[in-house]
Amino acid sequence: MSRSAIAIVRGVRLPALVLLVGLLVSGCGINTIPSYEETAKAKWSEVQNQYQRRADLIPNLVETVKGYAKQEREVLEAVTQARARATSLQIPEDVITNPEAFKKFQDAQAQLSGALGRLLAISEKYPDLKSNQNFLALQSQLEGTENRIAVARRDYIEAVRAYNTELRTFPGVIWYKLLYAGNKPMETFTVAEDVQRPPQVKF
Amino acid sequence: MIGPARMSRRSANILARLLVVLFGLVVLTAVAFAQSLTFPALSGRVVDDANILDAATRSALSEKLAALEDKTTDQFVVVTLKSLQGQTIETYGYQLGRHWGIGQKGKNNGVLLIVAPNERKVRIEVGYGLEGTLTDALTKVIIENAITPRFRANDYAGGITRGVDDVIQVLSGDTELFKQQTAVKEALRRQQSKDEYAPLFGLFWFALLAFIVFVLLQAPRGGRRGGPRGNIWIVPFPGSAGSWSSGSSGGFSDGGFSGGGGDFGGGGSSGSW
Repeated sequence: MSRSAIAIVRGVRLPALVLLVGLLVSGCGINTIPSYEETAKAKWSEVQNQYQRRADLIPNLVETVKGYAKQEREVLEAVTQARARATSLQIPEDVITNPEAFKKFQDAQAQLSGALGRLLAISEKYPDLKSNQNFLALQSQLEGTENRIAVARRDYIEAVRAYNTELRTFPGVIWYKLLYAGNKPMETFTVAEDVQRPPQVKF
Repeated sequence: MIGPARMSRRSANILARLLVVLFGLVVLTAVAFAQSLTFPALSGRVVDDANILDAATRSALSEKLAALEDKTTDQFVVVTLKSLQGQTIETYGYQLGRHWGIGQKGKNNGVLLIVAPNERKVRIEVGYGLEGTLTDALTKVIIENAITPRFRANDYAGGITRGVDDVIQVLSGDTELFKQQTAVKEALRRQQSKDEYAPLFGLFWFALLAFIVFVLLQAPRGGRRGGPRGNIWIVPFPGSAGSWSSGSSGGFSDGGFSGGGGDFGGGGSSGSW
């Protein structure tokens, strides 16, 4: 209404316009952070899915091996215990943004991988076991599951990379500061000790 | 004497592969995601990049694979590779499947029979949607019984044909798909055309915001009672143009063959000879 008000409005019109156009150009990015977050969460579910699938195969495997190699009690128990530990682990909601919880999960799974590797290595010594149809089927299922775990992990790592990068680079960092300041970067898989050295098998 | 020794070798192979996969899991998590793999072009249902099949086998296989897709909408592609480019066949396989998008989008019912004669590796790669039917154990049995024995005798055509027949037999055993076949195709066609709208929506919003900017630029000239003048409404909306094309984008073998957009998760099994 007043002249000074009109003058002010006229004065800011151009800068406001520039800001608007600037936001427009990066404006599509307002949805990028939530999309990447949801993708990463979905990939994480898939990872957990496949690890669970592996855990489900193990009791059957242990029973089959017991039938032929009962004397290998230590290894069989190690596998059973590692599996129990991995499946009973309380996984909090925020595991992928919580470094300690994530590490616990990784370690439990790595321990299970190690125990499983040892079990399969010692089963080499029992020719009856190796030719058992059930055992062969289980081996192929286990192989398939390990492959699926590898694929799921790779997908997850890629999704996390995209999300973490978006949080840090322009224009995502603007939206992050403005709207999504509560978001935290996600954890990614690191190499675990146990899996590093696969059991040596002498044929 | 011979029996257990042979079993030992086969089982040892399986065990060695399992350990390699476990080890590969370690390496892959440490290595940066370098996507420098090249994939052959999807020239048809049989991609004989390594040139180990004759024309007659190729066309016979193509017919069987096309018939399978017509009956069940499953997409099955046979591919022979000159080189795995330093990857394991498991790593290469699912990426090839995803790159080509074999299998219908949403259903993920794709299968690949991958033969790498130079590395002497074979793999049946199974899409997410078929993992329940074409299980790892089944594909393993098919590879060990139908494919690798013939490959050892240098009979590539025979091994591949027999493997294809076995897989088709397993897949065709699912009778429910026969009934839902037409309904599925219709739903998928609608799904595909919906996906094509998405970029146009983005364009619409951009046009709307550009319109608002245009208004801002106009207002000062109109004086104090000025408002949007008539000429502003001439800004064309993309919706008015008849550009909402809903043509099916060639996932149903009308002329050429192309992947339906299916996804792979690493299911299936491998063998070597």
